[in-house]
Amino acid sequence: MSKPTLATVALGGCEGCHVSLLDSDEGLLDLLAAADLVHSPFNGDEEIPSRVDVVMVEGAITNSEDLRRLMAARAAATTLVAVGSCAVLGGIGGLRNLNRVSEVTAEAFGDAEKSELLPTLQGRVRAVSDFVDVDISVPGCAPETSLIVDALVAAISGDAHELPRRNLCDECPREKRTLLEHSSEFVSDNVYALMELDVIDEKQCLLEQGVICMGPMTREGCGAKCTVMNVPCRGCMGPSRLEFEQGGKMVDALAAVLPAGAIMYMDDLIGTGYRFSMPVSVFPAAYDHEGGDDA
Amino acid sequence: MPLGIYVSRCGGRVDAVVDIDQAIAGVSKRAAVVRVFDDVFDTGVAERIARDVTDCELDAVVLAGHSVEHYSKSLSANHLREKIAEAGVNPNRIVAANILEQCALAHPDDPAGATTKASAIIDVAAKRAEMAEALEGTSIEPRCAVMILGVTAEAVVAAQRLLRLGYSVVLADREDGCERTGRAQSMHATASYVMGHPAAELVDSARLVDGDGYLGDYHITLDSPEGRSTYRVGGILLARPDHTEWVDELRHHFRVDVDDEGFARSLDPSMHPAETVDEGIMVVPVRRADALERDKVAAADAAAMALVLRLSQSTVTHYRDTSAVDESLCGGCATCVRTCAFGACSIGADGFSHVDERRCVGCGKCVVSCPVGARDIVNSPHDYLLDAVRSLAEVPAEGDKVIGFLCGGCGYPAADHGASEVANRGRGYPASFLPVRIPCGGRLDTLYVLEAFKAGFDAVCVYRCREGHCHNLVGNLDMDRRINLLRTVLRSRNLDDARLRIVDISPFEGERFVESVEEVYATVGALANGKGGPL
Repeated sequence: MSKPTLATVALGGCEGCHVSLLDSDEGLLDLLAAADLVHSPFNGDEEIPSRVDVVMVEGAITNSEDLRRLMAARAAATTLVAVGSCAVLGGIGGLRNLNRVSEVTAEAFGDAEKSELLPTLQGRVRAVSDFVDVDISVPGCAPETSLIVDALVAAISGDAHELPRRNLCDECPREKRTLLEHSSEFVSDNVYALMELDVIDEKQCLLEQGVICMGPMTREGCGAKCTVMNVPCRGCMGPSRLEFEQGGKMVDALAAVLPAGAIMYMDDLIGTGYRFSMPVSVFPAAYDHEGGDDA
Repeated sequence: MPLGIYVSRCGGRVDAVVDIDQAIAGVSKRAAVVRVFDDVFDTGVAERIARDVTDCELDAVVLAGHSVEHYSKSLSANHLREKIAEAGVNPNRIVAANILEQCALAHPDDPAGATTKASAIIDVAAKRAEMAEALEGTSIEPRCAVMILGVTAEAVVAAQRLLRLGYSVVLADREDGCERTGRAQSMHATASYVMGHPAAELVDSARLVDGDGYLGDYHITLDSPEGRSTYRVGGILLARPDHTEWVDELRHHFRVDVDDEGFARSLDPSMHPAETVDEGIMVVPVRRADALERDKVAAADAAAMALVLRLSQSTVTHYRDTSAVDESLCGGCATCVRTCAFGACSIGADGFSHVDERRCVGCGKCVVSCPVGARDIVNSPHDYLLDAVRSLAEVPAEGDKVIGFLCGGCGYPAADHGASEVANRGRGYPASFLPVRIPCGGRLDTLYVLEAFKAGFDAVCVYRCREGHCHNLVGNLDMDRRINLLRTVLRSRNLDDARLRIVDISPFEGERFVESVEEVYATVGALANGKGGPL
């Protein structure tokens, strides 16, 4: 009996998820022992074969070509695995949804004529699940190598694959102190960027030091690699329940913990709250009263 | 789930405006029993409904008519709910649909609009009844002991009544009230009886430093020069509701309504002068300077009677409306710990959030602050509120449509009082204003506001208690902070945040309520851009 087939597709994104997959070292050998890689950005074929057992899709749907290739991938795939924040949540490119397409192209191309060869931009960036059924989702920017391999192995062997459901605080080793006290005071007198702190307490919860950390609003599973290295969570795993939006919950959760006035004057409240998940939020794009979603 | 719909004509006041048949046409299809009564508080109605519950094995009951406020204020109004519960319907599945004060009486000049709105309100109530989790009651034997805060003439009289009935009493005063009363010449016999009684304990120079519990079983910790002691009592009588230090100390542990002066307020000064929002806490009404002795005695009797009515029951069943934790989602981020004003949340050694049921008052702030949805509250569950927003958005209306999130402590009763303002001026406010009751302004999740705009509402009004009045201390301010931050989110999507309005209001300000509704319609009508609507 021949081995199951595997294909990987890169849509609107940076191909960082593919790099993460390549980082798996021997894991890649295990994967290739379990399945034949029949199509990927590494092997030059333009089109995906018509039948493939497992297809990994990276990237969001940003233009007409992304959409066409996603449809081909879904038509070919028995199991579709969406990998990375772009595919699952719309990703960082989704922040362009705050502008109209005309503004985006003017910024990118200026007065230059757009080549006929370039695909047409979608009205807004969307997650893969906006268009097709997704069998397995692996968020993250880029997802931990092991998360991708585990998901693909599960898909190949037909096993169930579930994401962890709690928030990052569950696996973050930083200590909470003042947050655990019953008090009506905020845990910090202000909101600080990391570089504004004179001293970073390497053990203490970053929120308690006044640094906005998206950990509470973000699904665990990455191993808290950023916070371990003194970098606040940016929220790339997305909300742990997709019906909640990360930016809204940031407001709900942090308004009683940190001084709200200081949060309001942060440089980029929206970019912080919706960095990876704008396209799956309740209002996934700027609402245009004239033309609606100018797609 | 077999559902019973009981509509009260409220003595003709509902059907003077609302076409009841039409209003219940939709919901009747899924109901096992539908009955229309002249008034649900008429003699025999409770028994009739109880028979239906048994015969049709009803699991959920909607009482359409009076405001929910009517069913919670006094023991007699509670009787109807108790009867239905005794027959076998879980109390959490007996839901009031307010089609009187906030519908028929609010829109006397728009029968069609009022009928459409009544139908929507009943439909949402039916969903609430069907979706609600069955609550398990805990029965306790109430302690025959009362803590009296503030030693006044009324306090002494009430103490004497309670002692005669076999209750033990702790009298606490901030200064030297106990000592002074012992020496006082007026009511000397009563005072001596109380001060010398073996079941009376007297604490002067007392401060209330901790408290938890509920009707029948409170723990109160007092600090005094004698040291710190914890007392276990069944009820609390606040004899000095005008002593803001007592009120303030109580408010940090229990729900207490306050008025503009910071005095503790009863549920209803005319009908229920002693009862407060906490079933086991009574107040002696603030007396006028020229009050006669007989007024003081009458007030003391009323307060003592209100306590005895509750504490003399052989058992009290509590359906505690506390917050629940889903440990499969909780990551122990502790935002709930910091949000809870009553110290009811803490992170346990297991890393999960835990709720102290004796301290939780069910405000729901932790549900909002929980970033993963690990928290929920049985009285106004997340799924129900989201569903209510979406269902109400489907109500057909001409012109602009507004959703009002009404805090149960202020906005909701204010909207009920709006009915008399409407009667005074003979003109209703727009029937496309659709209310959703929430337990506290702090229960308002930003998601509900976003969903309301997305589902097609043109404006969102949030009613919250005036500063310093929130039952839950700072639920109103927490909501302010969240909603004002949410304005940035709305603006980023080109939605005009003038469509989101916060109104601070007191429970009796019906006039202000009606004005605020008309103001929001005027504002929205003048806006050209940023109209909500599906993408």
